[in-house]
Amino acid sequence: MGKVVGIDLGTTNSLVAYVRDGAPVVIRDKSGDALVPSVVSVDEDGTSYVGREAVRRLSTDAARTVYSVKRFMGKGVDDVQGEARLLPFAVRGEAGGVVRIGLGGKEFTPPELSSIILRELKRRAEAHFAAEGEFDFEVDRAVITVPAYFNDAQRTATRDAGRIAGLDVLRIINEPTAASLAYGLDKRHTGVIAVYDFGGGTFDISILRVEDGVFQVLATNGDTHLGGDEFDALLVQRELARCGDAMLSAEQIQDIRKAVIHAKIDLSDGERTTLLGRDFTRVEFEAIIRPIVDRTLAPCRQALADAGLKPSEVDEVVLVGGSTRIPLVRRLVGELFGRTPHSELNPDEVVALGAAVQADILMTGNREMLLLDVTPLSLGIETMGGVVSKIILRNSTIPATGSEMFTTGVEHQTAVDIHVLQGERELVQDNRSLARFTLRGIPPMPAGMPRVQVQFQIDANGILSVTATELRTALEQTVEVKPSYGLTDEEVERMLIDSFEHAETDFAARLLIEAKNDAESVVQATEKTFRLPMFAEIAAEDLAPGEQKRIEQALIGLKHVMQSSNRDAILQWTKVLNDATRHLAEVVMNRSVKEALAGKNVEQI
Amino acid sequence: MSSTPTSIIQVCRSCGGGSPVAAHFCQQCTKILTLGRHGDYFAFLGLPRTLTIAPALLEQQFRALSRQFHPDYFYNATPAERRASLERSSYLNDAFRTLKHPVQRIVYLLEIEGVLTPAERGGAVASATVPPDLLEEVFALNEELDEVRALKASGAPDAQWREKLQHAAAPIAAKRDAHARDLAALASAWDAVADRPADAPERRQVLQALRARVLERNYINNLLATIEREGLQVSGEAEA
Repeated sequence: MGKVVGIDLGTTNSLVAYVRDGAPVVIRDKSGDALVPSVVSVDEDGTSYVGREAVRRLSTDAARTVYSVKRFMGKGVDDVQGEARLLPFAVRGEAGGVVRIGLGGKEFTPPELSSIILRELKRRAEAHFAAEGEFDFEVDRAVITVPAYFNDAQRTATRDAGRIAGLDVLRIINEPTAASLAYGLDKRHTGVIAVYDFGGGTFDISILRVEDGVFQVLATNGDTHLGGDEFDALLVQRELARCGDAMLSAEQIQDIRKAVIHAKIDLSDGERTTLLGRDFTRVEFEAIIRPIVDRTLAPCRQALADAGLKPSEVDEVVLVGGSTRIPLVRRLVGELFGRTPHSELNPDEVVALGAAVQADILMTGNREMLLLDVTPLSLGIETMGGVVSKIILRNSTIPATGSEMFTTGVEHQTAVDIHVLQGERELVQDNRSLARFTLRGIPPMPAGMPRVQVQFQIDANGILSVTATELRTALEQTVEVKPSYGLTDEEVERMLIDSFEHAETDFAARLLIEAKNDAESVVQATEKTFRLPMFAEIAAEDLAPGEQKRIEQALIGLKHVMQSSNRDAILQWTKVLNDATRHLAEVVMNRSVKEALAGKNVEQI
Repeated sequence: MSSTPTSIIQVCRSCGGGSPVAAHFCQQCTKILTLGRHGDYFAFLGLPRTLTIAPALLEQQFRALSRQFHPDYFYNATPAERRASLERSSYLNDAFRTLKHPVQRIVYLLEIEGVLTPAERGGAVASATVPPDLLEEVFALNEELDEVRALKASGAPDAQWREKLQHAAAPIAAKRDAHARDLAALASAWDAVADRPADAPERRQVLQALRARVLERNYINNLLATIEREGLQVSGEAEA
């Protein structure tokens, strides 16, 4: 038996964790990084790159590089027309079918691209276990997290991605619930917890009651298309507007996006930063993103109403997801619930930790803790006049069942068409089509005589299965549900085989990528220091004559060799930049300490 | 208690041994039992068939049983046990959801006591005939709704017909509140007679009274939904 891990497959970053000696830990690479950017790039030879290497390729080969693929999971082409125009990669597919993403000459489905990320996490975990001296280091099973508000198609797509990556997906669990498990471990609380999970691409709110180690979700709500990506898009558009009519290449636009993201991150700590050479303040930033942050508040109120609670009845608020580092987000959430939100655990890592805990529960049968989650959306079927009849209501604890009786409308009719939908609206057209199927083999009888009971089962993953029985003849039907926006089992199998045939980056290539990753860490740290509002003062007061110039030259040199495949040169120049910035790093550190002692935040200067 | 027969036996698919209907695990081999023949939500949760249930007790039972047969704990078990765990957990969740809600609890009781059909529960039958106690209100409401529609047709300002609609809704809402109190009183009455033999006249009497109130309640809810639709429909037109 191989190893079992918990995986947070995020819109922006993904990571893997496992339980060691009873406590969950995230797995880091050599430079201490736990996050693998959820970016995949495929070059002309069909070699795939994942993570930071793929991020770098956004600046050189944007058309062959895909990010935020999670947004396309379980989607049809018709769903994503609007945003596809803004992306450097080609979004295709047949009308009414699964999205296909074109990278160079090849097309990939979102589960295939996600599986490449999962494979990288699996590889990273295996390298970790091997380094720990484990004899059996293969990782073959995983718990994978999804946004709580993911529908059936999105969950199924995630499970398919795991299977294509060669993982037995033990369980799909909801991100906010996973986070609550990680928090619950530390504290053993009893009471009502609200988990506000605002990530790169999705927003979730879950309200839980924790008692006797049972984590019972009372209500959940959210928006699977609302996250930090929206901030980035607004800021990029603002910068593009500044450029006027200038025709920019996809790579240039990606460089702007990168600068925007850096500025966004800077403004979580500081009051001001530099964006593409211009001063950019937190006040300006907050004015731009405010409408998006406000959109998270209505789902919070709805979840509270569904749980039958007032904001004041929530005992603790937990923040999850990178976007909760933004001070404005913290402030608004604090105001809504009337209390300061928790943020002791790293909001990027807490979900993976929870997934690892759940994987451990499944493997060991440890009954200390139990997650009881809910289905986020009502499940229904189409009835006469295009109206949806609900069978399992939203916020029902899963696993859950529901059944509906069908009959025939015509003499000797032997088949009935059934259309399954998910959503809260009354009309079919306003809900998500999950599947259409035909009940066959109904014994010929007068119209209205057959009594076909269709049983819907939502399992603990939040995934639907359907069975049907003709009650008069007790004839059990196996129902083949063709998902409206998913892959068939055969397709998944074929993709699994294909993925083995894909050229994997070899050992030498890996070493090169690691060197580039290290180089990039130094480059980013240096550039961040340059953007500090107090940098001008440091340069004037603390740096030796010519010191700044030397650093800048080392920076240019390293960035230049990073474009090449010369590992030795990259290692050499990384050392040069490291040496050149050592004194500067000390100065910044000393100033920070001094400012902190003086009771004043460095960033407030 | 005749309402929860103990004669029904569940047969364990693992060892073939028999267990009482309310058991969740085989009394011979301790394996989880397939959810085949079972009692009802009350028996399943180990609760008496009463309409007053302390919320804390219900939740405690729910948590305790969840800990016994949630699918999380059967991951390494045989397919049959996994299936049984999934079915038992689903049934437990349905039971908890139904019994947690006081009115749904009453409706469920009436169903298992055989005095309410699933169609009646849905409210489809209730809307066919006006309950006698509601004749006066329904008559008044229909008149007022006609007036509202006439006002809307004549292009009267929103505020005017909205006020009328609210006026029409008030007595119906008051009736619903009165019903809620009646139901609560009848629920206590049921608890006093729940243990009597199934054919005891006082038991039947309470059930019939509960049934009448539930059907009336369905009817009232339908009326309130009609009023709501009247309001929604028009705001939709205004937007267009």
